[in-house]
Formats: sequence, structure tokens, C-alpha cells
Amino acid sequence: MGLRRRRVEILRGVDLVVPKGAVFGLLGPNGAGKTTTVKVALGLMTASEGEARLGVEGLADVGYLPENPYFYDYLSGREFLSFCGRLFGMSAGERRARSGELLRDVGLEGAADVHLRKYSKGMLQRIGIAQALINDPELVLLDEPMTGLDPIGRLEVKRIIQRLHDEGRTVLFNSHILADVEELCTRIAVMKGGRIVWSGTVAEALTDSPEGLEAFFMRVVGDEPAGAVGDGQPEIVAGETPS
Amino acid sequence: MNQVAAIALNTFRETIRDRVLTVIVLFALVMIVAGLWLGSISLEQQGRMMKDFGLVAVTAFGVIVAAFIAATLVRKEVEKRTVFVLFSKPVSRAAFVVGKFLGLAATLAVVVGGMGLFLFVVTLLVGGGASGMVLVATALIYLQVLTVVAVVVFFSTVTSAILASMLGLGVFVAGQLSHNVLSLSRVGAGALTEAVSWVVFVVIPNFNAVDVKAVAVGEMTVAWGQVALWGLYLVAYTVVALGAAALVMRRKEF
Repeated sequence: MGLRRRRVEILRGVDLVVPKGAVFGLLGPNGAGKTTTVKVALGLMTASEGEARLGVEGLADVGYLPENPYFYDYLSGREFLSFCGRLFGMSAGERRARSGELLRDVGLEGAADVHLRKYSKGMLQRIGIAQALINDPELVLLDEPMTGLDPIGRLEVKRIIQRLHDEGRTVLFNSHILADVEELCTRIAVMKGGRIVWSGTVAEALTDSPEGLEAFFMRVVGDEPAGAVGDGQPEIVAGETPS
Repeated sequence: MNQVAAIALNTFRETIRDRVLTVIVLFALVMIVAGLWLGSISLEQQGRMMKDFGLVAVTAFGVIVAAFIAATLVRKEVEKRTVFVLFSKPVSRAAFVVGKFLGLAATLAVVVGGMGLFLFVVTLLVGGGASGMVLVATALIYLQVLTVVAVVVFFSTVTSAILASMLGLGVFVAGQLSHNVLSLSRVGAGALTEAVSWVVFVVIPNFNAVDVKAVAVGEMTVAWGQVALWGLYLVAYTVVALGAAALVMRRKEF
């Protein structure tokens, strides 16, 4: 907040379609514009040009986990989930049932009544995923969901993402952990300098670089290919089948 | 409506669980009891001194709590990025501002109401009979405190927390004196000075007009119709300040 603002161009023509039911990985080095892209899609930031459409029935059908999440530390895990449920207009009974179910799913049943200030980073990440799913959303946006998690926590989150995929939901997540992306995603897009520099299926990327996604990523990010997409206006569409 | 209620309840929980608040309230209660000592050294005036000193303490601590907590209400959510959780859900910026205000209003009802009730009981036990006017005065102090909250919430959306607190306290002090500015401008001042004084009088909420402490201690009487009208003015002022805060929030990027 201040009296003067300097205009900084963060996204320069992001043209991205996330197919319905896909697990979509948005990759890119730090500062590439991944988080900003998600924020624009959610309306937390406004694009100066172009449009972002969620392709679902508004925010009531979206779940979002912010990067490095911080939540109300004076609330217990159960109170926090109940609070989030109330924001969606859920009844007390629905909130109780859904919170219990999610706390079990993310392995926090034993810490349900502990204040969030006593949660470890991994526990906060898991309660963050739980709050993103409180409304049983069609579209789930996860910003670095594996950050701070130990191997067991990562496995639990991967299982949740896999289950969401099996249920036909659309999941978009940003991550630097390429092994997880390779394991979970059906499609990926790579961002660099505020642009989408590559977009396609994981299979296509691996055909391009049989040595693995890491090698593919280094090649795409290090040397922008001639056929890069993203020269148009910002457009982020989820929930539509790509042409 | 659900969203406003959820945010209000959450804010109430946050502020009521704040240990700083407990310390301030305890200190205020000590100050009210200290009025007992003041009363004991003033011949035949114990009850009057107690009410006078006690109501000043209720006002001062109510306004201080309001100014300092209100300043961090919105800013803390932005700085700690909990707004991401709220605004990624179907929560409007206006619902956020109103919910935060109502949550703190509930906490202040407990704080100011509790202090007023404590003063009422103490004067009843020690001060030679309490008048219901102590409770009426407390209710009007609460109205002033809510106006300060709305003003500080607005300032906190456009400037830093500490500056918002200071500006809120400044508006409160100016609001105690704004009627004097108008009176003074009429004494030999030019038309321009009088016009400026009118603007100041209207823009700065006239807290003095709903201050009935002197009535509570039996020093004077007031026209209650006038007090009610000025009370409505403060309610309108509060609504406008919150509306302005909501408009600023709508334009914010996170």
C-alpha cells in the first residue's frame, strides 16, 4: 500500500487452456509468473489486458491453496475448516462432517483440535489442502502443494491429487518438483519471463527429451524454442476441452 | 450474509483471544477502582468523582483499544496473506470489511459494556447509589468507539497501521473539540473562517454532542432529542467510512 505505484509487467501474453478433468502442471523458474497467473485466474489480481475464465460456476466451485500459506494461528485445524466451510454457506452439520472427512484424508485427525500456531510447516500445508477442498470443488488450484512436506506428506498429497483426478476434477498445480509433475500430470505448460514457452502432454515432453522431464525443462527454459506459444493476450481458461 | 457472519465470528475470536486486550481491560478496571481513592479524598463527592473518573477511563480505554486493534484488522490479513484464503472463496471485499467491523464491534461491546457494568456495580456498592445514567453514558461511549473503529479501518486501507491509529485518535480528539471551533469562528471572524469552520464541524464527527458524562455525574441536563440526532449522525458517519473502506479494498490487488 502506498501513494505511488510503479507499473511492472509480470505476464506478457499468457495463452493457456486447462482441459477439464486434467491434472495440469504449471512449471517455470522462480519469477516466471506462475503464481501471478493463478492469482489473475482467481481475481486476486487483474490483468491489464485479456481475460481469465475459470470455466466453472464461479469461485464457489474452486479450491485454492496459496504458496507458503499462512492461516489464522489462533484457530484449531477443525475451527479453521469450519470457518472456511461457513464462507461457502455450509450448514453446521455439513461443516462438521466435511471437516472430519478432510482431516482424516490429510492425516491431521490427531491434531484437529490443536491451534494452527503449533502446526509444523508440513501440517500447515496439509490443512491448506484440506481448506482448498472443503467445498468439494470442480477446479482445484494448488500453488506449490509439496513445499515443506516430508516424503510421507508428499505421498499423501499425491494420493489426494490422484483421487481428485480419478473423480474427474480439474487440478492445476505449480511445482518445482519435476518428479511429482511427471508422476501426476497429464499435461504441462512451462512459463518463463511471464510467457508460456511450451505447452503439451507429459508424453510429448518425454518424447522430446527421453532422459526425463528435468532435462526437458532445462532445455525449454534455458533455450526458448522457436515454436513457443504465448504471443497473444492473457487468457486462462479451465474446464474446457482444448481444440 | 453467511460470509459476513463467518468473518465477524472469526474476528471476534481473534480479538477476544488477544492477551494484549486482557491486559488493557485489567488496567482499565484498576483505573476505575482507583476512582474510589479519588472519591475518598473529595469531601461529600465520592459518588460523583467515581462516576466522572470511571467514565473517562471507559472512554479512554475503549478508544485506545478501538484505534489500535482496528488499525491491524485489515492490514494483518493483507500482510499475512490470509486474504488469499478469503478472496479465493465467494467473499466480496465489502463483506470482508463489514465482517471485520462487526467482529471488533462485538469484542468492544464486551470490553466497553464490561467496563461500564463494572463501574455501575462499583458505584452502586460504594458510591452512594448508582444512576442508570452511567449505563446510558456507556452506551453512547460505545457509539463513539464504533465510529472511531470505522474511521481507523478506512485509514488502514490507505496508509500504515500506526498512522491509521494516530489519525483515528486525532479524529476522536478533534471530534471532542469541533463544536468549539464553530463557536470561536463566530466571534469576530470573517465569512471565510466561519465557512471553513462549518466544513470542519461537518467532516469531523461531533463526539462531544453525544457525550453525556456530565449528565451522569449530575452536573447538567441535555436535550435527548438532540443527542439522538447526533447519534444518528455518528451511525451515518460509520456507514460512510466503512463504505469508503470497502471501495478502496475493491481496487486492491493481492
